[in-house]
Amino acid sequence: MTDDPRTIRVDEYLPHPPEKVWRALTEPELIARWLMPNDFKLAVGHRFTFQGQPIPQAGFGGVGHSEVLAFEPEKMLRIAWRAAPEDPSGLDSTVTFTLQPEGHGTRLLLEHTGFDLDDPYQAFSRRFMGSGWPGVVARISTVLG
Amino acid sequence: MDALTDEVFAALGNPVRRELLRLLLEGPRTVNDLASHFDMRRPSVSEHLRVLRAAGLVSERRAGRERHYRLEAGPLIEMQDWLHPYERFWRAQLKSLRETLEEL
Repeated sequence: MTDDPRTIRVDEYLPHPPEKVWRALTEPELIARWLMPNDFKLAVGHRFTFQGQPIPQAGFGGVGHSEVLAFEPEKMLRIAWRAAPEDPSGLDSTVTFTLQPEGHGTRLLLEHTGFDLDDPYQAFSRRFMGSGWPGVVARISTVLG
Repeated sequence: MDALTDEVFAALGNPVRRELLRLLLEGPRTVNDLASHFDMRRPSVSEHLRVLRAAGLVSERRAGRERHYRLEAGPLIEMQDWLHPYERFWRAQLKSLRETLEEL
């Protein structure tokens, strides 16, 4: 956790080498398995979408709009995490994945920043995301048994 | 979010009760010890503790003639999740990422 409510930091030790973790972060079919279906491509400026579940009451049409902002192979990937243009939340945030070799594995640091706390739609969106996109949650519980 | 009830929010909406929780963060204390930090009569402090107990935020244990109060972490952890929901989202996704990596 962090004291800055506009930024979220999460980290996870993964017992796999950085090159393998990098694949899971940058190959669309692998991203789809742990996050959401997408048309990601590893190229700065490439705009892509995440296909989630539409939730009308949150103003979320089901499609997240992203863009590759920066990357350094096997070290760092930064993407924009935006609401659809017609989405009233106006969410325009940034997610940065940083990979650090640690022992035989990788320490993956995730920083999600750019929340506008004064915007009630974004506040709602934060709550909604936290309660879990229904499909994602269902899949996780399947995976974890 | 089972532990995050209206009683929890109501209990936290009082400065004396928030101060009681802060004191209990350091470890269990007796009613007398807690009351000594406040400029109010002991029954008033006991009443605040009763509200905190009803909300599941503290628990009470009797030891002889003394009552010891301790913090119960559950509702506060859920409060943390509620205030930082994206953090919970990403934690869940990173667990899913870990599973995906196992299968590669």
